[in-house]
Amino acid sequence: MSETSSRSEYVDNLVAKTAETLEKGQYPLSITHDEAVYEAERERIFSNTWCFVGHVSEFEEPGDYARRYIGEDPFIIVRDESGELHAFLDLCLHRGAQFCTAESGNTSHFRCPYHGWTYKNDGTLQGAPHMREAYCELDTDTVTLEEATLESYQGLLFARMAGEGPSLEAYLGDFTWYLDMLFGLTEGGMTVIGEPHRWESGHDWKTSSESFAGDSYHVLTTHQAGLETSLGKGPWSKIDDFPEASYLACTDKHAGGYYLVEDPETFMGYPAAVTDNLNPDLSEPQRNLAGRSVFHVGTIFPNMSYIHGIQSAGWGGPWLSIRVWQPRGPGKVEVINWWLVPEELADDEEFKRESHRGWESLSPGGAFEADDLVVWNGISDSCQSTMVDRRETLGNMQLGLDGMSEGVKRVEDPLHGPAEVTTKGLYFDERHSRTWYGAWQSTMEKYGGESR
Amino acid sequence: MTNLEMTASISSPTRHHEIEQFLYHEASLLDDFEMEAWLELVDEDIELKVPIRRDRGPGSDASAFSDETYYLYNDYAMLRERVDKLSKEYAWSENPRSRIRHHIGNVRVTQPVDGEYEVKNNQLVYRSQGDTAEHKLLSAERTSTLEHVDGSYLITDRTVYLDHSVLNTKNITLPLL
Repeated sequence: MSETSSRSEYVDNLVAKTAETLEKGQYPLSITHDEAVYEAERERIFSNTWCFVGHVSEFEEPGDYARRYIGEDPFIIVRDESGELHAFLDLCLHRGAQFCTAESGNTSHFRCPYHGWTYKNDGTLQGAPHMREAYCELDTDTVTLEEATLESYQGLLFARMAGEGPSLEAYLGDFTWYLDMLFGLTEGGMTVIGEPHRWESGHDWKTSSESFAGDSYHVLTTHQAGLETSLGKGPWSKIDDFPEASYLACTDKHAGGYYLVEDPETFMGYPAAVTDNLNPDLSEPQRNLAGRSVFHVGTIFPNMSYIHGIQSAGWGGPWLSIRVWQPRGPGKVEVINWWLVPEELADDEEFKRESHRGWESLSPGGAFEADDLVVWNGISDSCQSTMVDRRETLGNMQLGLDGMSEGVKRVEDPLHGPAEVTTKGLYFDERHSRTWYGAWQSTMEKYGGESR
Repeated sequence: MTNLEMTASISSPTRHHEIEQFLYHEASLLDDFEMEAWLELVDEDIELKVPIRRDRGPGSDASAFSDETYYLYNDYAMLRERVDKLSKEYAWSENPRSRIRHHIGNVRVTQPVDGEYEVKNNQLVYRSQGDTAEHKLLSAERTSTLEHVDGSYLITDRTVYLDHSVLNTKNITLPLL
C-alpha cells in the first residue's frame, strides 16, 4: 500500500518529533504501535536496508532453499546449480501466484501451481505447459524472477530489495569488528544446527530489536524469578559486580554489549576444539575480548539480533542464537530463532546437549524469553492508546545521558574495538536505545520523500 | 488404526481405565498449577521433549519433527527449576496465571513391556490470561511412558508433538504441556 499524502505527513511529523526528542533521550511512544508508521516502515526501512535472511550453512548443496521474509514480503533463499545464492520474491511472473509450498527443502525447479510456469533455481523460466503453441512470441529471456540483492558477511546472509545502496560491508561499518569475533571465532566459522524456533508474539518488532541492542537493566526486574532460581554458575561466578563487568558498544546504527571476566582464556567455557582452532585472522584485541567474554548480545539494524553466551540463567551453553523480529503487522511479530555452534563442534553430541540447553533458555519455553514477551506484549497494547496520541506521551531512554548516571564512562582501549564503548554500559547507559531509535529516525527521514 | 497397533494395544480394560484416569488426574494438577504434586508423578530419569515441527515440502519423506532442535528438552533437574521458578512472584510468564484447561482424548495404550506402558493421547489445551477475552488453543499428540509402581503410575518419559509449525502463544510454560 502506498502512503497517501496525509498519512505520509502524519508519519513525517512523528519522525520529526522523534528527532527533536531524541536529543533529550526521549521518543514519542505513539511510534511503537501505529498502522501508518508500520506501513511507512515497510516501505522506508525494510525495502532499503540490508535484512537478515539466513545463514550460509543452511544452504550448502545446490537446490537447498528456505522461505524467508524481508519486512512482510515472502522470499525464497536458494542456492542454484552453479553454487550461487539468490533471494527471489515468491511470485510467479505470469499472474503473481506463490509457488513455494514448503518452509525449506531442496529442488532444482519451482513450478507454479496456477498455470504451471516453471523456473530453474537460478530464477530463469524453464518452460510452461504447451509452451510452443501457447507462447509463440514470448521472449523467455525477459522472464526471470524478481530478485533482491544478496550478500554475506561471516556466513550471515543479508538481502536488500532496493537496487541501489551501500555494500553490506559498508552498511555494517565498524560493527564488522565485533561480527568477526563472534561469527568468525574459529577457522570453520559458525554453523546452524536443526530447525529454528518460530513463534508469534503480540509485540512490535521495534521493541525487541531495540532491547536486544543492549538492555541488561531490565534483567533485574523482568527476570527476577529466573535470577532468584539460578545465577552465577560457571564463568559467571567469577563476576562480583555485574554492572561493572558490563560494556556497551555502539556504532552509527548497530549496537551490542558484553560481560567480561578477567581470565583471557575463558572463551565462554568452549572445549579445546574451539580454543585449538581459533581463527588466525583475529587481531590480538579481538582474541582477548573473545577470550574474556561470557556473554554477548546485540542488534544489527533493523531487526536481526544475536546472543552468544554461557549459562545466562544457570542453563547450559555455550550457545549462539540468531533471531529476526519479523514484522507481521502493526504491533505484531513472528520470532525466528536459530541455534548455531562452531563448525568444529557440529558433531559433538555431548557439547550440543549442553549448548541446546542454553539456546532453549531463549525460546518461548525458556526461563528468560517467556517473561520478556509478556512485558513486550503489554507495551504494544498500551502504546496504541488514543491518550498517548493526544498527550504526545514520551518514553524515556536517558540512562547514561550527560551526567544522568554514575560510573558510565567512555573506554579508550583497543581491547574494545572501534565502537563507542562505555563501562557499566549494559546497565546504566541507554545509548543502545538512542542509537537504535536514531537509526530508525534517520532511515525513516531519509527515505520519506522518495518517490517509489 | 492398523492391525499391528490393534494387536499391540492393551488387553486389560482395567489397566486401560486406570491409565486414562491417571492422565485425567495429571491434567487436573496442571490445570490447577499444582506443580509440586505434578512433579511427584514424574520419574527422576525423565526426559520431557517438545520438538520443533516444520513445514516440509510435499512428498518429503523427512519427519515433520526435528530430532535436533526442541522448544523444550528437559531433564528432572530442569523441571525442578521450572517448578521453583513458577512459584516466584516475579515469574511474569505466569503472573497473572493463565486459565488452563486440558481436553484429553483418543487415549491409546500398548501392552506393557517390563512393566512399562507406551501411552498416546491427543490434547487440546485452552489458555487465556489476564483481563482480556482473547484465548489460545494448543493442539498436540502426546506420548508418555508410564511405569506401574505401587498401585499408581510414574511418568518416565514424555514427548509433546505440537500441531503448530509457528507457535501461536507468546510463551510455553509447563502447565500447558
